[in-house]
Amino acid sequence: MGGPGSSPCASCKLLRRRCAKECIFAPYFPPDDPHKFAIVHKVFGASNVSKMLQELPVHQRADAVNSLVFEANARVRDPVYGCVGAISYLQNQVTQLQMQLAVAQTEILCIQMQHEPTLQSHHEVFELHQDDKAHLLHSNNNSINNCNNNNYNLAYAMSSGQLNSNFASPSSVIQMQMQDPLKQESLWT
Amino acid sequence: MNPKRCAACKYLRRRCPKDCIFSPYFPPSDPDKFSCIHRIYGAGNVSKMLQQLPVQTRAEAVESLSFEARCRVQDPVYGCVGIISLLQTQIQKTQTLLAKTQAEIAVAQTKHSQHTYL
Repeated sequence: MGGPGSSPCASCKLLRRRCAKECIFAPYFPPDDPHKFAIVHKVFGASNVSKMLQELPVHQRADAVNSLVFEANARVRDPVYGCVGAISYLQNQVTQLQMQLAVAQTEILCIQMQHEPTLQSHHEVFELHQDDKAHLLHSNNNSINNCNNNNYNLAYAMSSGQLNSNFASPSSVIQMQMQDPLKQESLWT
Repeated sequence: MNPKRCAACKYLRRRCPKDCIFSPYFPPSDPDKFSCIHRIYGAGNVSKMLQQLPVQTRAEAVESLSFEARCRVQDPVYGCVGIISLLQTQIQKTQTLLAKTQAEIAVAQTKHSQHTYL
């Protein structure tokens, strides 16, 4: 923490100013990690970060800082696409896995129908798919800290096949509509 | 005031020069796009970022910045990192389900071959 007698935080060191006792950056930018603030300042700017933190309750600021650092790092590594590049890559992975899953589920259905031609297994596969979709929409994962139980249209769009089933480019990621994102456990915990 | 100012110069209340770095990407018909980006990144930072990029990549860079800024406005704590987290969870769940289904296939095939042998 900043204040008389203690070392200034990384932000105040970089900004070359006195680190006040109530410095908004001090809890999240310790002096032993100057790179963390430097990268956030480069992409977002210190005053924007300060404004963003001031608008958040104290218990959410650490997660907000960590996500800003993550985004800033992504933007520095990929100045054109930033995090959108990572989202595009992960969407492609999801699409490929869903295709593999569909093939595997079809195969098991065929095997089961060879031995049990009563079509009972068809309903099991259908229910499995529905459960998976419902789980994605209304996840009650205990690891979610700040879930506000809103549906997440991206997950719904992906699970119902509304998004482009071909490989997603960063441009197609940008065109997707996003409403009420489901808040998940942060990546760094 | 020049009615043909881009959305950025309108927002910043300044003259829009012929070589304005923002004008190709922030048409006056979409004022929210720039105001959202300005709120998160600031005009100066965006200008610097664009200047450091080749011209042919700037449109995509603006769109990705706009996307991330909108995500951050909608989710001030996690921004678009929330989406990444959701996708990673989805990948894990799908991988688990796929592994389970593939194991079921292996068991079913083994049963079938044993039945055929007998």
